Amino acid sequence: MNLFAQIFYLLRKEITLEWRQKYAISGILLYVLSTVFIVYISFQNIGPQVWNVLFWVIMLFASVNAVMKSFVQESGYRQLYYFQLLHPVAILLSKMIYNSLLLLLLGGLTFLALSFVAGNPVQEAGNFALALFLGSTGFSITFTFVSAIAAKADNSSTLMAILSFPVVIPILLLLVNLSAHSIGLLSGTDIGDKISLLAAVDLILVAMGLVLFPFLWRD
Amino acid sequence: MKYWWKILGVLILLYTIFVGMLTPLKTGITDASPVSLHTGRSEVVTVQGYNSFFTKEKENLRAWLKMSNQKALAAKHIEVVDDRVVKLTFDIPAYLPVDQKVKDFTLLIDSPVDGASVLPGGIVVTQDSVNVALGDLVWTNAEISQLHEKQAFTFPFRNILGETIRNTYYHVPLWMAMFIILTAGMVMSIRYLWKSNADDDRKAMALTNVGLLLGILGLITGAIWAKFTWGKFWSWDVKQNMTAIALLIYGAYFVLRASFEDPEKRARVSAVFNIFAFASLVPLLYIIPKLTDSLHPGAGGNIAFGSQDLDNTMKLVFRPAIIGWTLLGIWIGEIVLRTARLRDRLMEV
Repeated sequence: MNLFAQIFYLLRKEITLEWRQKYAISGILLYVLSTVFIVYISFQNIGPQVWNVLFWVIMLFASVNAVMKSFVQESGYRQLYYFQLLHPVAILLSKMIYNSLLLLLLGGLTFLALSFVAGNPVQEAGNFALALFLGSTGFSITFTFVSAIAAKADNSSTLMAILSFPVVIPILLLLVNLSAHSIGLLSGTDIGDKISLLAAVDLILVAMGLVLFPFLWRD
Repeated sequence: MKYWWKILGVLILLYTIFVGMLTPLKTGITDASPVSLHTGRSEVVTVQGYNSFFTKEKENLRAWLKMSNQKALAAKHIEVVDDRVVKLTFDIPAYLPVDQKVKDFTLLIDSPVDGASVLPGGIVVTQDSVNVALGDLVWTNAEISQLHEKQAFTFPFRNILGETIRNTYYHVPLWMAMFIILTAGMVMSIRYLWKSNADDDRKAMALTNVGLLLGILGLITGAIWAKFTWGKFWSWDVKQNMTAIALLIYGAYFVLRASFEDPEKRARVSAVFNIFAFASLVPLLYIIPKLTDSLHPGAGGNIAFGSQDLDNTMKLVFRPAIIGWTLLGIWIGEIVLRTARLRDRLMEV
């Protein structure tokens, strides 16, 4: 079975599993909705700048929670089974792609929920969608890989936050900056620079992940 | 000599400390009053010099108010009060050849003993009404020429920096040494994954430890410098924030190490995290600060070290300082490594 077929099967397996036990995905969706609502009733009036920051902070925390389970909550025996059967790159890539899709969904939902209660300040929808896409990819790459690291340790849920937050901050900063452009808080011509930088950071991290993951899984 | 590099490191650092601390600064202007002048008057400006010797060769002292590279106004009369204080009399014409109501001038004093010293944009002249043509007509231009160079081994005088310019030999080289040592630590992590030799993991740990220490020192020296030049220890500067994050990443490295019992597993997982963290550190420290405005040199249009701020005399101290701090760091790292080796051997017994 070649790599792409493996990735495809693993991806299908993830989605089927998620669909069968709906509590995980519905749990994370409820998490987003209740966070948005808590934020809304605490702030009441949310200006564009606060909206921008809140959106990404909610995304950040929801993403950590959503992605954490990808390696941490999977039983050791099942992982052993996968690793005997499949290429480690296929395992990591399928998780990353699946998590990107999940986070994109999560981001869309956060956007809808936040716009519903606090209004929609986005002026350039295309740029914002691009930021959302690059953001969910970047979050997914970082958090998936860090969750693979954290899963090896005993106290993994604390470690997950400690390890991933500092690593993800450059991506988060670029995202806040990029979406501030699309909301009209910032103007300037260097938006292309930031998009390519974000894409480059995503690429570097995915390359590092693919190179390093085979060392991580063998026990 | 087995330990030549340790001796070399200490000698270089002693050289940095002595030469860096004892070399005097060039002559500069710290203060001028009054700062605000008016057209059509004869104004007397009292100038405070720094490291200046105005009384020597006072008849050859010259002073200008420089408007642009072509236009300057010479002082009509120069009265030397003492070595540090000089009173300059300027006849400001009734109209200036600019279409601005308020124009800033650079004060320039030249002396054969001290060389040329400047107060950039330090004097403002207000005109009653703007008339460029008339201003051109009444302007008596004094060409700034034959400026003297101070013939001594000195460091440059910069107005806001003053004596704190010497921190260039601590703050900046500590940073560079940190980066060199963290890179070496990452290389050791790569080597561990390649060869699975437990000593490589200990080396990576020791080097990262020292890198973290140098990073904290770099942060502290930077914060003290910032207090004196920017006014606050922490100015929400992008490089300061990025640095704090970088230190958090390496703090997480040690938390991760502490959470494993099995040494082989600890070595492998922390090597993986070290390489991954290093890959995210490079955009953090080198690319993002260049894109955003920063108070640091080399970002947001500020001039970078190496072009103007770092002159040749400073390079003579600055470059060895990088090597000196790196060697000292490697020495500390070696001690950490040997302790770790002994501890591991003790565990085996």
